[in-house]
Amino acid sequence: MNSMHSVWAKRFEHYIGEVMKYMRFVFTGHIAIVLVFIAGAGGYQYSEWLKVVQPDFPAEWLIAVIAGGLVAFSRPVTLLKEPDQVYLLPLESQMPNYFKKALNWTFWSQVLVPVVLYIIAIPLLKEVTPLSVGEIWLTAAFIAVLKYINVRAEFNYRYANRGNAIGFDRFVRAVVSIIGIQMTLTDGFLGIVFLIMMAYYAFTLKKKVQDNPVPYEHFIKLEQNRMMRFYRFANYFTDVPHLKGSVKRRAWLDIAYKAISYKKENTQAYLIYRTFIRTDDHFYLWLRLTAISAVIAMFITIPFVTCIVAGALAFATTLQLKYALMSAGDFRMDMLYPIPRDTRKQAVAKLLRQLSIVQAIIVTLCAVMQPQFYIIPVVIIAVSELTMRMSK
Amino acid sequence: MTILQLQNVTGGYTRKPVIQDLSFEINKGELVGLIGLNGAGKSTTIKHIIGTLLPRSGEIRLNGVTLKENLDKYRSSFSYIPETPVLYEELTLKEHLQLTAMAYGLDEKTLDARSEVLLKEFRMEKRLNWFPSHFSKGMRQKVMIMCAFLVDPSLYIIDEPFVGLDPLGIQSLLDQMDDKKRAGASILMSTHILSTAEKHCDRIILLHEGRVRAQGTMNDLRKAFNMPTATLDDLYIAMTKEQDNEQHA
Repeated sequence: MNSMHSVWAKRFEHYIGEVMKYMRFVFTGHIAIVLVFIAGAGGYQYSEWLKVVQPDFPAEWLIAVIAGGLVAFSRPVTLLKEPDQVYLLPLESQMPNYFKKALNWTFWSQVLVPVVLYIIAIPLLKEVTPLSVGEIWLTAAFIAVLKYINVRAEFNYRYANRGNAIGFDRFVRAVVSIIGIQMTLTDGFLGIVFLIMMAYYAFTLKKKVQDNPVPYEHFIKLEQNRMMRFYRFANYFTDVPHLKGSVKRRAWLDIAYKAISYKKENTQAYLIYRTFIRTDDHFYLWLRLTAISAVIAMFITIPFVTCIVAGALAFATTLQLKYALMSAGDFRMDMLYPIPRDTRKQAVAKLLRQLSIVQAIIVTLCAVMQPQFYIIPVVIIAVSELTMRMSK
Repeated sequence: MTILQLQNVTGGYTRKPVIQDLSFEINKGELVGLIGLNGAGKSTTIKHIIGTLLPRSGEIRLNGVTLKENLDKYRSSFSYIPETPVLYEELTLKEHLQLTAMAYGLDEKTLDARSEVLLKEFRMEKRLNWFPSHFSKGMRQKVMIMCAFLVDPSLYIIDEPFVGLDPLGIQSLLDQMDDKKRAGASILMSTHILSTAEKHCDRIILLHEGRVRAQGTMNDLRKAFNMPTATLDDLYIAMTKEQDNEQHA
């Protein structure tokens, strides 16, 4: 029993370390700043709206649907790894101890989202419903308990059915959870009935679990997908080394390769242009930053602010793409080619220059209605060029 | 005429050397097999020859120059087929061939002529516009092989070429190697498949624990081990046993 606990403890420590490592970059990246602005503006809008909200606004239903949906969506976090399906096989009888730990973590890591959203909605509930403070907080506790049962139900369902038709299971649990929360908000204790229904459902599934071996394949796949999503997300902010980016042809951009003629000096340019256009990570990074810059240029009427933002985003675009394209990670065949070493650097510089010009054109076109818009392209191209020269 | 020459090469990844005092030569038109157990230092030797690792001491000359003396000449003189295929996920098969041809300064006519032959030989004509994600392990290996043969250098360095290839692929590769050899190219091939090595190699280098244990033709080796009718498998097992006995003595 102890051995399973220490296996979990080791996994958990490593997992938290991995998450922390990348979250640091997320919270210091450019998108964090955008998020703070959005949260601030959203909070302000919300408080203004509360002043004028109609008393017949269906707050109970809205909250029930959001919280109920989130509660039903309880993907288990097992931290299982591929080798486990071989090495943990002899420990099958001890696995319940491991999963108990895993489900506790699943609950605590997921319960915050619906509860915090509910707490944000409390001012609205106070405004449009006759609920007392005690009743409001009782519902918060109700949501937490409902989440606890849903976590177990989803795990048991996946275990018993190897994940087949999980969408249907989730839908049923979402409906029961939504009605349960709605009842608690309107009719008080009637919600308990739905809680008992859910607990009974989880309990019947539990029996099936006891008769079946651990569905390692399903849980490992689930875990790999989950980590992949996390790494993809983290990859927006920093370079995740073991992430193989997905690739798309984007044939409509084939025209961009026309400018690179067939000769030895163009070897790296031939490669770099294709790498940028076809690797989703690089391409969407550029697209995202250009889009943010363009939208801000379109709506902000103070030229000084627009220029600062456009400059900052041009800096981020050039720096991040340069690092992404110059990173000397794994062995590549072009490292053996009989071409001078610095041709890759030159090819990247050529690409980044052209990209900064395209970015400047797009952002300027979006700012055409603003005063002194003609400064913007100068800022973007100059900042980009400086970034390229000054960075290592 | 000597194409590749290693002289007292010692090196590895960390301070502890993996290969020690390695010396051998490969002559024009020779197919040489580099044979050794897992961890004997085959891949490390190859990495030193292709220049991704630099020797701590000793010297490697290819067509008379070291990598430092003339990078361009050194690198143009060989092509390399790694053990696990290394492809650009963002390039099609056709673009892999084009990129390689550009890098080695082939003109477009030569590229078309050579790739037509290779594509036919390895039965990949219909996959020109495919991306590597749609290739099986064997097909990925074939892309590497085609890129290497496209260059037509004086030395081919081939690491474990037969793993993952189907029997037809193996035959095509052996045929290509034969053709190139007859045209005067040299080949250094590392492998575990001893029967194939015995059949096709002109000379064998037996590597054990980072050192050259024995080298020469099959007859030289049989004499050295005093086993006149032995196969390469027999010699190999004899060598490892002998080494064990020495250690235990």
